[in-house]
Amino acid sequence: MKPWLRRGKGLIMGSARGEALVSLRAFTFAHGVDPSTGVVTDVRSDVRGMNVKGKILFYPFGKGSTTASSWFLETVRLGNNPAAVVTEAVDLSAVIGSVMARIVYGKVIPVMSEIPHTDYVGLKSGDKIFLDAERDEVRAEG
Amino acid sequence: MLRGELGEAKQFAMEIVSKVGDAVGADELVPIKSAHVLAHYSSLHDAGVEVLEHFANSGGRFAVPTSVDPASIDLQNWKTFGIPEDYARQQFRLCDAYAKMGGMRCWTCAQYQVCNFPKEGDVVAWAESSAVVFANSVLGSRSNKITAGMDIACAILGLTPRFGMLLDENRQARVVFELDLKGITDLDYRSIGFFIGRNAEARVPSIVGLPSPVTSDQIKHLGAGAAAAGPVTMIHFPGITLGSKTVADATGGEKVEEIEITRSSLGDVEFDLNQTSEFPDLVAFGVPHLSVNELGELARLIDGRKLKKGVKMYAYTSSQAYDMAERTGISATIERTGARITHSTDAEISPLKALGFNTVLTNSAKLAEIVSSEGEIRVGYASQKEIVEKVTS
Repeated sequence: MKPWLRRGKGLIMGSARGEALVSLRAFTFAHGVDPSTGVVTDVRSDVRGMNVKGKILFYPFGKGSTTASSWFLETVRLGNNPAAVVTEAVDLSAVIGSVMARIVYGKVIPVMSEIPHTDYVGLKSGDKIFLDAERDEVRAEG
Repeated sequence: MLRGELGEAKQFAMEIVSKVGDAVGADELVPIKSAHVLAHYSSLHDAGVEVLEHFANSGGRFAVPTSVDPASIDLQNWKTFGIPEDYARQQFRLCDAYAKMGGMRCWTCAQYQVCNFPKEGDVVAWAESSAVVFANSVLGSRSNKITAGMDIACAILGLTPRFGMLLDENRQARVVFELDLKGITDLDYRSIGFFIGRNAEARVPSIVGLPSPVTSDQIKHLGAGAAAAGPVTMIHFPGITLGSKTVADATGGEKVEEIEITRSSLGDVEFDLNQTSEFPDLVAFGVPHLSVNELGELARLIDGRKLKKGVKMYAYTSSQAYDMAERTGISATIERTGARITHSTDAEISPLKALGFNTVLTNSAKLAEIVSSEGEIRVGYASQKEIVEKVTS
């Protein structure tokens, strides 16, 4: 079987390696992720109970409160942030959260978009992923 | 600017705004007419306090008229609501930083009804997802959904990157929702919004079949429901939205998907949001903030009734509407029943769990979504009339 590989668009540059956490529904950090643990609490999320910490986090698009970037930044402050974020439509809260993380806490959290969520189907949470935003590329590793 | 000749806050702001602009492919920074920012402790957390204080203490001053979302506490009456001192202290740090930067003391999520009035065609940089929908859909101004951190940066610079909803090509409707409904209630406006947010995905929606005329309060709650459920930043209301006299204007004459909203669609939303039929310990009205008109409607509905034992009822509003309700006797009518009006704060960003609430009943789809997302409090979702009948006698 051919390894899973997709090209999208790198928004925040950098590379990251980690396990996939794949949501096929709209996602938000605001009120939906507990920053003190990284656990997804949102009852409407299909990855409720999973942890975003160190993961390559996939979701189609954001939803809800404009506070999402500060919830994101608090996970960074407490060391519970994802390693990278991949979306279909640009989620400005992830972009802003990542920009703030770099400036305020010196952490690089690459962000990519334009990977349709229908393409996430070949992936499952726990798959090993390598993401290279400079090359606009994300792939599963053996 | 990046080398710091304009002072640390401006440099910090420019670094954020230009990096975000680069990330999203913005071609330039453009002037804004107003900003709306976030400064409440429950969502900014300690990271946000650090960021806001850094801006304020390194010379940050707002370059344009700037309003702010509600605080996590009632800034006037917080002690009487049982807010712990140490929690209030963190909120007041944010208030001080915000005031130091010269923001309007207008703590509301419906700023477009009381203190921040952009005109048609104005570019603004607003946080508050429901207000962004209102700005794009009703006011004819243009805003991206600016999130925490970037909001302050745009307000200090008086600039925002030109991308997304600032560009004509991204504002066309790509999906049309057709209402097939009779007898639309207060709850229905919220549920319609939530259904749209759930099903529009990343497309700009238009809606047809709403009763006419529709009030700014009804649109406020519809937009808030939509923004809570999905990434919606604009809804075309033909006849209201600038440039969209008809649905064909909204879609630019293109053929787009049409989705019907029926009584059964709204039943699904209610089933999802109404997670308990338990008797509540808190009834919350006003996410987003009630206008003075809505406070008046509530007063008429509950006049002469009494709240049952074991339940509190809070109506959340702006300071301006609160004052007007005091002067017109609306407050007295509401408070005679045992309910309270609270201002400058809102339910979804106040420490409900710490205040001892375990079951909340509301007619706000946005509040129901958020409270259940945090997973600590059970939430019921019903119309204002049903709620009043349940919790008063």
